[in-house]
Amino acid sequence: MTARRLISPLSRRHLLTLGAGAAAGALAGLLPRPAAAVLKLDVTQGNMQPMPIALPDFVGVALPDPAMARSVTQIITSNLQRSGLFAPIDQAAYIEKITNIDQVRFPDWRQINAQALVTGRLARLPDGRLEARFRLWDVFAAQYLDGKEYATPPDNWRRIAHLISDAIYERLTGEKGYFDSRVVFIDESGPKERRVKRLAIMDQDGANVRYLTRGDDLVLTPRFSPTSQEITYMSYGQGQPRVYLLNLESGQREVVGNFPGMTFSPRFGPDGQRVIMSLQQGGNANIFVMDLRSKATTRLTDTAAIDTAPSFSPDGARICFESDRGGRQQVYVMGANGGPAQRISFGDGAYSTPVWSPRGDYIAFTKQAQGRFAIGIMRPDGSGERILTDGYHNEGPTWSPNGRVVMFFRDPGGSAGPSLFTVDVTGRNEQRVPSPSYASDPAWSPLLR
Amino acid sequence: MSAGRTISTSSGRDSSGRDTWALPVSIAVHVAVLAWGALTFAAKPLKSESTPMPVDIISVSEFSQLTSGSRTALKVEAAKPVADKIGERKPADDPAAKIAKTEVHAATDVPAPLPEPKPPTPPTPPEKTQSEPKRDLIAEAIKKDLAKKPEPKKSEPKKAEAKAEAKAETKPEPKAQPKKEQPKFDPRKVEALLDKRTPQRVAATGDVVNNTVGLGAPTGTALQLSQNELEALRARLAQLWNPPAGASNPEELVVVIRMRLKPDGTLAAPPGVISYGRSALSVAARDSAVRAIFRGQPFNMLRPETYELWKDIEINFDPRDMIRG
Repeated sequence: MTARRLISPLSRRHLLTLGAGAAAGALAGLLPRPAAAVLKLDVTQGNMQPMPIALPDFVGVALPDPAMARSVTQIITSNLQRSGLFAPIDQAAYIEKITNIDQVRFPDWRQINAQALVTGRLARLPDGRLEARFRLWDVFAAQYLDGKEYATPPDNWRRIAHLISDAIYERLTGEKGYFDSRVVFIDESGPKERRVKRLAIMDQDGANVRYLTRGDDLVLTPRFSPTSQEITYMSYGQGQPRVYLLNLESGQREVVGNFPGMTFSPRFGPDGQRVIMSLQQGGNANIFVMDLRSKATTRLTDTAAIDTAPSFSPDGARICFESDRGGRQQVYVMGANGGPAQRISFGDGAYSTPVWSPRGDYIAFTKQAQGRFAIGIMRPDGSGERILTDGYHNEGPTWSPNGRVVMFFRDPGGSAGPSLFTVDVTGRNEQRVPSPSYASDPAWSPLLR
Repeated sequence: MSAGRTISTSSGRDSSGRDTWALPVSIAVHVAVLAWGALTFAAKPLKSESTPMPVDIISVSEFSQLTSGSRTALKVEAAKPVADKIGERKPADDPAAKIAKTEVHAATDVPAPLPEPKPPTPPTPPEKTQSEPKRDLIAEAIKKDLAKKPEPKKSEPKKAEAKAEAKAETKPEPKAQPKKEQPKFDPRKVEALLDKRTPQRVAATGDVVNNTVGLGAPTGTALQLSQNELEALRARLAQLWNPPAGASNPEELVVVIRMRLKPDGTLAAPPGVISYGRSALSVAARDSAVRAIFRGQPFNMLRPETYELWKDIEINFDPRDMIRG
């Protein structure tokens, strides 16, 4: 009886409803849902290789010298190749011949494994100027990446090639270029006992060499202004070494300050308004900053040691310099207004000629240990010291405008003279820079534009 | 009180409150249980293993240098495989013809086999003893059967060794044995010839000795992407990916791209960039990752059977490990 009472609420109607509800619920569970099963993969290793790039000759239109289009292409090719990040493909392998720079048959370029392609056009305008256009293509994605047009007086045709090289470099590497820049250096010629040293300037690829002094005076440590077309350098004029300022466009020369004593290793501040240098008084040398407009000078260090070779950080807030206050030459970092200096070099050897990178992330230096000279870089806090090149006798590092390449000079010893070399900040791709004769003490200009 | 009617629509109506809300509550609870079941048992996205085998890509010449070996190295004998119970290839002789010779051979052969198997079995000098093992088997069996001594223990390991040697040498000289005096094949003695050892498995079971790499993830499903496939895909992308170097802020180089593939391993659509940084370096990193995907076609290391699992892949290109320091 009790059982019947319990069972009785389960009437047929109730059972049917329950069954319908259960079935509906079960069917709802079977409704199709997105599988939500995207496979996730991590790729944490890559393959740093120079990028294969194809550069067919620029199309020339109405050019007085038809070979100029080919020369422009060759300058661009050579720039990209020297950077070590690109591997230009030999033109003999090209399948398509470019006549219209806006039309590209991508399969032809994929077949020769070009990952990027540059097409260009060089034309002479009716007013006599040169007009250059280029297009940069991603071959495998079949996409247009970049393109620009320039117009310039015909003498500037090499600069167009450097500007185009910079644009290609920037779009493909993400970093600012450095090809449209110049290098000022000391040109050395003549026999070793009587070397004639002249101040000279050239394009970063070694072209367009121009001499700035006659060679009567001994000139040293030329440096570029970051903002104007001016160079500061040291010259042993009338016995006393003095810091000079030379305007490249006008050729005018003036003495920076009139200090009692010898002034050494001048450098511009990042705003181009200040020159920092080392002034020797008595047996020691200290660091001074001079404002170029007001001519006011400020002493930054006051030690009994030799503090020299100062260099500003790109934001102008700090300086690095070389000092032997600790007994041996080391690199120190200090606020740009003076104050306590912090030593950042701790390796085995003597550290000198520190130069702050324009990117601010490294300081380059010369390190001398066990009779060998090395060019190295370290972070501004002294960590991550890395040697880029080693040998006898490397010295005088200077940074490219994008902080990616270091130029220095190497003296092989013996009767031969020094030459200029560049090396990538990763320590790879050491290249010799062509110069008309022996060359030393390079200084790299900022980008010309 | 009718006997048959236990279910009544009208009974139990006195407690009407209990009746009217029982049904909705019951439906609600059922639906809730079913919904919970449907949601918790949803498929989880397939996560690739994050502890891969590091793949070192070397050239063919490097590989041959690695594996070339040295002429002056000590000769190491290959480990002998565990003897399995393999049927011996016995010549099927005419049994009747051999019966007459049985007694004579047994008598003369009894002393001979004893010293043979005693020395431990070096597999290298097999040729000398090629005939003895064969005779040993039959002689031993006959001897054992006739004498009925508790010799089986000794003879069995000997027979096993002898069998192992015989098996190893069966290949080099398969035809030499039948030329010897034909061992007797007594059909009545088949029992004696049967190996009385308990059968053993050769291959190790479980996790003991197995030295083949375990494939697949610990969460098993019927059809699974093997670790090798994922590693091959990762290795190809790593080979083709050329990220910008020398970045001062490595976070801006991380790129996440979604790749949809067709069953033949080619792209079904251009790769979709999900995220990348904001700087010019990020653009270059993004382009190099996309280029690596374009160049990697067709991704033929992925099996067509598991297409549902790899048709949609989200790839995280992260070069921070490469450019540390």
